Amino acid sequence: MYWQKDLECIDRDHLKKLQKDRFASTMANASRSPYYKRLFSENDIGGTLPLDLIADIPFTSKQDLRNHFPYGFLAVDLEETVRLHSSSGTTGNPTVVFHTSEDIEAWASLMARSIYMTGARNTDVFQNMMGYGLFTGGLGLHYGAEKLGMLVIPIGPGNSKRQLWFMQQFKTTVVHILPSYALRLHNVMEESGIDPRKDTCLRIAFIGAEPHTEAIRKKIEELLGVDAYNSYGLSEMCGPGVAFECVCKDGLHLWEDEFYMEVIDPVTGNVLPDGEEGELVLTTLKRKAQPLLRYRTRDLTRIIPGECKCGRTHRRIERIKGRSDDMLIINGVNLFPMQIEKVIMGIPEAGNNYIIEVHKKNYMDKITVKVEINENYFNGTLAELAHLEKKIEEELKAELLVTPVVKLVEASSLPIHEGKAKRVYDLREMEQGGG
Amino acid sequence: MAEHISVFVENKPGKIMAITKVIADNHINLLGIAISSSGEFGIVKLLPDDIGKAYEVLKQNNYTVHKRNVVIVIVDDKPGSLHQVLLILSNANINVEDCYGFVLAGGRRAAIVLETDESREAEKVLADHHIRLVSNEDMHIL
Repeated sequence: MYWQKDLECIDRDHLKKLQKDRFASTMANASRSPYYKRLFSENDIGGTLPLDLIADIPFTSKQDLRNHFPYGFLAVDLEETVRLHSSSGTTGNPTVVFHTSEDIEAWASLMARSIYMTGARNTDVFQNMMGYGLFTGGLGLHYGAEKLGMLVIPIGPGNSKRQLWFMQQFKTTVVHILPSYALRLHNVMEESGIDPRKDTCLRIAFIGAEPHTEAIRKKIEELLGVDAYNSYGLSEMCGPGVAFECVCKDGLHLWEDEFYMEVIDPVTGNVLPDGEEGELVLTTLKRKAQPLLRYRTRDLTRIIPGECKCGRTHRRIERIKGRSDDMLIINGVNLFPMQIEKVIMGIPEAGNNYIIEVHKKNYMDKITVKVEINENYFNGTLAELAHLEKKIEEELKAELLVTPVVKLVEASSLPIHEGKAKRVYDLREMEQGGG
Repeated sequence: MAEHISVFVENKPGKIMAITKVIADNHINLLGIAISSSGEFGIVKLLPDDIGKAYEVLKQNNYTVHKRNVVIVIVDDKPGSLHQVLLILSNANINVEDCYGFVLAGGRRAAIVLETDESREAEKVLADHHIRLVSNEDMHIL
């Protein structure tokens, strides 16, 4: 039932005390990083500030992480670090997060706790279809599942035929998969004449890395004959394992022994009471290499008031509603429209006007970038234009780690906007599903 | 040296018509037209009787246009004429990107418009073989 009962079912008073103690060590630890050292002295914040006064600390944003790349947030000596994870981006500084071996260990425990909570056990065969590498989705679940003692197949995403072959050969029971890919995989099963209920042993799916609706969860459960559990995390905190659904499937337990959560009004920055929707702000309580204080996740959610039937005392957050910034999540990969703009502006043959369209096709996200051509470089040949399209595509792919479709359009043919241009047209909601 | 006008267009219904409308509204006569497309977009190639004017009015209408050097040859309208021209270019190892042609008034001769990245070399080798070349200015006397 519980992986660490004493921690998962800790009573709220003890939890509060644990948070206070851990916050004190986090503050002491944070003051060793160049960024927080300066922030504390500029704002007259003592290293012994109690948790009750956390609102005195200014928020930390993704931009702060970028501006103090690469070591501004590092609170330990470099020799103590054993790993880094990072977001995409070569034109701007990527977001880099460091881990000590203790951090990796703590992360694996959180993950094992989360996986165990859904009923997965060491007798299960776990096929991890999430990306491995700098992205935290693959390795995060991998370490947790190994810790729990599952047989792990670190297959990574894509190549559906091969996925199905492994699934059938090794009688996979648990998968970790993008929700959109789960639906796509079902299509491939149908085409291959595989009935997931009869021809596979699947029973549990962990779905995460991209926001999805309750309807999508139900659809995945229905089509694959599994229980699907929502997983939430962000690499700045560790990765997946920040919050996870229990078998009640009524919100995600956010592990409050390791993260202190607040929900704020994204405009005013004011802290909101439980039950009100706003932006999730997290403070690490246990991270060694890179403690973060009041980090703005930009994810919109609310804290669900009341207790959960499962007996765990950690408060739940509702599934993520959306973002308070313009970040796009494309098949689990985070990207910002600004990254696309930088690439286009760096190619002289491309014009300055462009739009980004996000579509759903075969349940997968597809990005189309329409770019006006720069007439000064137009030499009247098709070959040149095809070459330019390819060039923009390649450069975008290198920057974003996803492959967009580039379409050249006539100069001055895209809408001109007064003031802030509307560049992003996210059409996924309308195209949800097949087609 | 001759030129034609290349216009960048998206591959959608009505796009070429919009271009010919601009040309017609400005009383420009088209001697020849050709279209190359590759999926999403294409290039409309125009040989107007007044290339300067055509270029200006299309630009005014926000089209992406380019005057491109081409080679225009005049041949007798009979079997084998085009082949003879292409044979000369082929022997000189000159690559032809695109070509289109039209019969001239009177019907005894035809004009062939050749697009190549080596238009100067092409003109030279064709002239050496006594093939008649014309420039835009000579077009009206044909």
